[in-house]
Amino acid sequence: MQDYNFDEHFDRFPVAMAYVPWQHLSQIYENLETAYRTGTIFPELDKPFVGRRVVR
Amino acid sequence: MWSYEKRLQFPVNIKEPNAKLAQVIMSQYGGPDGELAASQRYLSQRYATPYREVAGILTDIGTEELAHMEMVSAIVYQLTKDLSMEEIEASGFDKYYVDHTVGLWPQAAGGVPFNACVFQSKGDVITDLFEDMAADVIPL
Amino acid sequence: MNNTSCEQNRMLMDIGIIDFTLVELTLYLDTHPHDKQAMEYFNHYARIKHQMVKDFSARYYPLTKDASTETREWKWALAPMPWENAANPVMEGGCK
Repeated sequence: MQDYNFDEHFDRFPVAMAYVPWQHLSQIYENLETAYRTGTIFPELDKPFVGRRVVR
Repeated sequence: MWSYEKRLQFPVNIKEPNAKLAQVIMSQYGGPDGELAASQRYLSQRYATPYREVAGILTDIGTEELAHMEMVSAIVYQLTKDLSMEEIEASGFDKYYVDHTVGLWPQAAGGVPFNACVFQSKGDVITDLFEDMAADVIPL
Repeated sequence: MNNTSCEQNRMLMDIGIIDFTLVELTLYLDTHPHDKQAMEYFNHYARIKHQMVKDFSARYYPLTKDASTETREWKWALAPMPWENAANPVMEGGCK
């Protein structure tokens, strides 16, 4: 699969399709027990459910 | 092929049984967007993708959902353990109990039995992915 | 009843933590198979987990069938099932 740079080429993507921005690994949580209780080791995916929309 | 580890993915220790709560949580086991449906959804859809990476991640996610199913099942099991007949009647659990006693059986909270019609597998990876989002990514 | 020891609880909890880390890294690597940093994390934690499962299984009961080979009886059949309290580490308020 190609690693698209979502921001750079955004206007070149065909319309009427759905896209998911690519995840790039920066770091994982240092405290893995907290990560376990939170549900992810990736800070960029830590999006608590608040009823309607995600925060952050 | 699968292998098994004799532990839950996350510990479940229910202190007080609660048949009312069990009837609601049961939906996450056997309901339309429950873990049983999720596992069968991904593990059925994986054959249709032309990308090996995608087939791989669908396999691993489907496997994950089986682990989730086991946790939810453990929650329902522990919530319905050692119930008295009075508690069973007062909580409305009697309607389930008459057919299954406290055996685990996949159904939605409303009593609808599990059915493969709750998920899709259309032989097209993008079509299937949209269905996955409806079932599994509602918070987004 | 949960009559498992403090040490057993801690080991099982740690296995859960490390395995969850591996699950997360697996899903990331599935779509980023050439990510060197993620690969290093994975190799690191996979080694730790392997050792932890081996230690736990030798000390208490086999977590996998493979870990049941060195015994004269089939301990796999005697191990607590995952839905029993005995197989679930107590997380709050320390352990017994």
